Amino acid sequence: MLNERSFKAVGRALPRNEDQRLITGRGRFSDDFSLPGQVWAAMVRSPHPHARIAAIDVAPAMAMLGVLGVYTGADGLEDRWRPIPHNPVPSTKYDVKLTGRNGTEVFIGPHYLLPHDKARHVGEAVAMVVAQTLEQAQTAAEHVSVDYEVLDWVADTAQAAKADAPRVWDELPDNVLVDSTFGDVAATDAAFARARHVVSMRSHIGRVTGVPLEPRAALGSFDTETGRYTLYAGSGGAVRQKHELAHVLGVEPGRVRVLSFDVGGNFGTRNRAYVEFGLVMWASRKLGRPVKFRAERSESFLTDYQGRDLITEVSLAIDENGRFLAMRASNLSNVGARCVSLSPLSKGSGLITGSYDIPVATLRSRAVFSNTMPTNAYRSSGRPEVTFAIERLVDKAARELGFDRFELRRRNLVRPDQMPFTNAVGSSYDSGEYEINMDRAIRLADLEGFPRRRAEARGRGKLLGLGFANYVESSIGSPKERADLIVHRDGFEVVIGTQPAGQGHETSFAQVAADMLGVPFESVKITLGDTDVVSAGGGTHSGRSMRHASAVIALAAEDLIAKGRALMAHLVGVSSDMIRFEDGVFSAIDSNQALTWSELAQQAGRHDLPHELAGGLRVRRDNEMHTPVFPNGTCICEIEIDPETGAVDIKRYATVDDVGRCINPLIVHGQTHGGIAQGVGQALWEHCTIDPSSGQPLAGSLMDYGMPRFDNLPSFKTEIAEVLSPTNPFGVKAGGEGGTTPAPAVIMSAIDDALSEFGPPAIDMPATPGKIWSAIHERSRTEPLGDATG
Amino acid sequence: MQRVNLTVNGVPVSREVDDETLLAVFLREHLELTGTHVGCDTTQCGCCVVHLNGTSVKSCTVLAVQAEGGHVTTIEGLARDGTLHPVQEAFHRCHALQCGFCTPGMIMAAVDLIETHPEPLTEAIVREEMEGNLCRCTGYHNIVKAILAAAEAMRPAKAAAE
Amino acid sequence: MVMYPTRYHRPAGLDEAIGLFTECEDATYLAGGHTLLPTMKQRLAHPSDLIDLCVLPGLRGIGLKDGVVSIGATTLHAEVAVSPIARQWIPALSGLAGSIGDRHVRHRGTIGGSVANNDPAADYPAAVLGLGATVVTDRRRIAADAYFVSLYETALEPGEIITRVEFPIPDQAGYAKFRSPASRYAIAAVFVSKSGAAVRVAVTGAGAAGVFRAHALEAALEQDFRPGAIAPNQVDPAVLLGDLNGSPEYRASLVAVLARRALGHLGEARSYK
Repeated sequence: MLNERSFKAVGRALPRNEDQRLITGRGRFSDDFSLPGQVWAAMVRSPHPHARIAAIDVAPAMAMLGVLGVYTGADGLEDRWRPIPHNPVPSTKYDVKLTGRNGTEVFIGPHYLLPHDKARHVGEAVAMVVAQTLEQAQTAAEHVSVDYEVLDWVADTAQAAKADAPRVWDELPDNVLVDSTFGDVAATDAAFARARHVVSMRSHIGRVTGVPLEPRAALGSFDTETGRYTLYAGSGGAVRQKHELAHVLGVEPGRVRVLSFDVGGNFGTRNRAYVEFGLVMWASRKLGRPVKFRAERSESFLTDYQGRDLITEVSLAIDENGRFLAMRASNLSNVGARCVSLSPLSKGSGLITGSYDIPVATLRSRAVFSNTMPTNAYRSSGRPEVTFAIERLVDKAARELGFDRFELRRRNLVRPDQMPFTNAVGSSYDSGEYEINMDRAIRLADLEGFPRRRAEARGRGKLLGLGFANYVESSIGSPKERADLIVHRDGFEVVIGTQPAGQGHETSFAQVAADMLGVPFESVKITLGDTDVVSAGGGTHSGRSMRHASAVIALAAEDLIAKGRALMAHLVGVSSDMIRFEDGVFSAIDSNQALTWSELAQQAGRHDLPHELAGGLRVRRDNEMHTPVFPNGTCICEIEIDPETGAVDIKRYATVDDVGRCINPLIVHGQTHGGIAQGVGQALWEHCTIDPSSGQPLAGSLMDYGMPRFDNLPSFKTEIAEVLSPTNPFGVKAGGEGGTTPAPAVIMSAIDDALSEFGPPAIDMPATPGKIWSAIHERSRTEPLGDATG
Repeated sequence: MQRVNLTVNGVPVSREVDDETLLAVFLREHLELTGTHVGCDTTQCGCCVVHLNGTSVKSCTVLAVQAEGGHVTTIEGLARDGTLHPVQEAFHRCHALQCGFCTPGMIMAAVDLIETHPEPLTEAIVREEMEGNLCRCTGYHNIVKAILAAAEAMRPAKAAAE
Repeated sequence: MVMYPTRYHRPAGLDEAIGLFTECEDATYLAGGHTLLPTMKQRLAHPSDLIDLCVLPGLRGIGLKDGVVSIGATTLHAEVAVSPIARQWIPALSGLAGSIGDRHVRHRGTIGGSVANNDPAADYPAAVLGLGATVVTDRRRIAADAYFVSLYETALEPGEIITRVEFPIPDQAGYAKFRSPASRYAIAAVFVSKSGAAVRVAVTGAGAAGVFRAHALEAALEQDFRPGAIAPNQVDPAVLLGDLNGSPEYRASLVAVLARRALGHLGEARSYK
């Protein structure tokens, strides 16, 4: 279907259309919107990790200056709020099927806008104050008196899974909501039994938070005349949130309009609706005034949906030649106080064998409740965790068994001739050239020069380590997408239901549409974000957007071209097959009649057209694709450690990423850079630490939560590989999350290599200077110095 | 409440404000210049950076009344007569922004750095001097490139001014 | 959060400033505001009145007289960092000023504000103590050794205003600090100076009770003013802070390392992370 030679825009590093407004301060972020007469909301949040709400006395707050209302879960009961339909159990065709124990349905813990029974995590909103000014609302919130009956709590992931742990939900006998086993247990056991070597490891990939720089904000209003709610709120999918919030408030979706224009970073934190979004809508109707909420950064730290938090116990059975025979994994995901998304556990479950041909595997996947903020998908949901597990395990095998860590990998990589490759837990990798990625990365990283650089560092009293990791990750995502293609007098419009937060859809989608329609890139505009215009769509997550958008735009373009030909045929008085379309021009064969899109569009507005050709030159196309794609690559980094202080300096960082067809390399490289930073952040600085004695979250601000910054990251060397995927018209995989997927593994691999003379790896992420110093100076050196690893 | 008088993007403004009004809030809510953003509450992220009396400041940590009689330049005031400032142009060419939320403060910080740093900028200097601005999307790589490119483009003008 | 309401004043002179302080219900002085305003935004402080000292004449600027570098209380960190006087006579001090916070913070923060606040991880207290400076106020002169009392606590009386800090020019001085990855404040930092036979070593960021002089290090360095004279056991973890950034033992080790590095780079301020 695609004629690559006709690509004029696709594949080019075009600077972005969306930049103009963003570099001149004319972006439209959620907090930039105001409505006349708007009033302000502030939330009352639980200071306890677990407590019954015995009573809430709103009277003192109600009496305060400017206060218009104080609302609690009791109001929700009375107005019959429904729980937010998060639909956390992944349900597309190819998602790993997670269930409760013994195949039962997963109990997710309902999420009401305000709870009426218990607060189940520190920061859970238990009441909302609305007042004339933000200051008045915040001050009144301090005077809402909540009578809590403090309950036992549990925050730690492993502790929460124990049978006798304090129960977050009375509906379950314990906190384990998911317990499913996959793979061939008998074959796995047999392989382990006869294996020459078995290597095992346990890791806790800890809790982090997305920190999009725009704190969430929402402005709700209600029009009594039309009976419609309007919500301005940045999200990961306006269409989805419209349906969810309509459900919560018990109205038809058509009565809700959601506007999500510029979104200041998502990374997964905005993929699910927040209680404040529904609350401002509800309160605006109650009060007859628009109601605005904006989160403080400290509220974001406390109550953004958080990421990761997986305990993984993995074992690899290996023969005497270093061939991987079988794998066992037991993964425990901490979903927090209620289940908002099981994507991390599910996505990870499909990829436990990583880039390697491991014939049999068994995986036990469990999810557990705890008295912590709920977790959600976060950049490459689930994949950095399992990549960390398999790559660190392979390193351990190399170290303990005396193999070279590169050679051990080569021996076991899935080969191109095996594609499509179904791994031992049922995921079918569509395409990829894994060993070529390795070779390219090794050249890009100048692996050859590493010994010289290490010696030079040693001369300065520093320890230089080399980190290496392969990865394969998956992009599934919501399977449906819709595009409207409209030809205007002066250009083309594509209306589509993805929801970018920086990924450049207004540019890359225009590139695809322009080439499909044979028109200049500059003439195409992309419309997103207003659900009164965007009728359907899957939002943006999991690297789904380019793949789904390019497919549906290509199909819509086909439909539009067909309609154009039919229209021209009608105008000229011939049959459709006598009309040719080429390079953006419709022409009648055997005649010199030719019309451009613009000319044809002008004709399309005529009133004397037959019904099927009337209504303007436009089409609407829906598309559904379930088949996942598997971006993949290799990553190599060098880290220099100062043994006197534990300070870490990343000297070099190189990646090769197979994204399938690359629509815009400028954008894809940018995604890789940002993805790398987030993965490195988890490895070195980021952690949602909780005080074990009080259950209080300690990372409440940027003062405590270390972030990637200008001065703690290097410049990167990134290369794109384009092994086209056979699963969609453009051959797109995904480019948004490959930067993050191998990053925690590669950073820890480098640190462990730098510190190898001090013993086996002993540092958990984040590998802060204090921990590194401790690993060097506070361990007794009982192990022999040095190892054969590369 | 008191009246505060200052010049913003070359235009004199005068407003009655609560004494505790932050300059960032004054710009965003009183003057409806929403280009300046607020990203944190600990004066760390730099999304709110504007120029006050010729130097870069974090407008979330300056009271509007402290700016009395002064002149402020925000991101909206950087382009002249529709022509982008070289830093804005470089950010666009180098793909130094993704979601765009940190971008106004980032650009204002970069302009101040390029205009005032005594030595020619290198990657190391840029990375050290820009630590007061956070970005979550770009990994900083392209922002460094953009600042160096803009510094190069601005060198003749800067030399003439010195 | 939005700050609690307050009243802002622009005094014409020191007397008016002090008068306002006395009259108002619960006033606080405002200088650069980069400690006070964030604290007010957290609603941890709610002064009824703010008295802006930065509008007072005569408190800003750097001068040299009789072997002393005098820095006016409302002088900005950025100004000290580029001051020809500071750079020539106490480059470790100008370097320290240039390492505070980030460039935007340095365009507003003042030495008076920093010294009056006495944050246990702030940089200036190490220089004031490490150089044996004198804190000059509207009513008296306070020697550094008497000035720093405890965490966030100084010898200043209510209403007392710092007007300048006088730094005697040392023979040699150096500063080295190790910054927290998150807050960027010092987990530990050491200011070393030598004047004649006397050595001063001031430590900030690491002490459980704020900035302090490391007497064991001073004694060792008075014998031999070289990095090699410093031994790890000269720093006692018992007086040091333990928190998410590091244990007292880690800080003790850092103090020794940083002292050595300050000695190895005299005339500079070095920042590590």
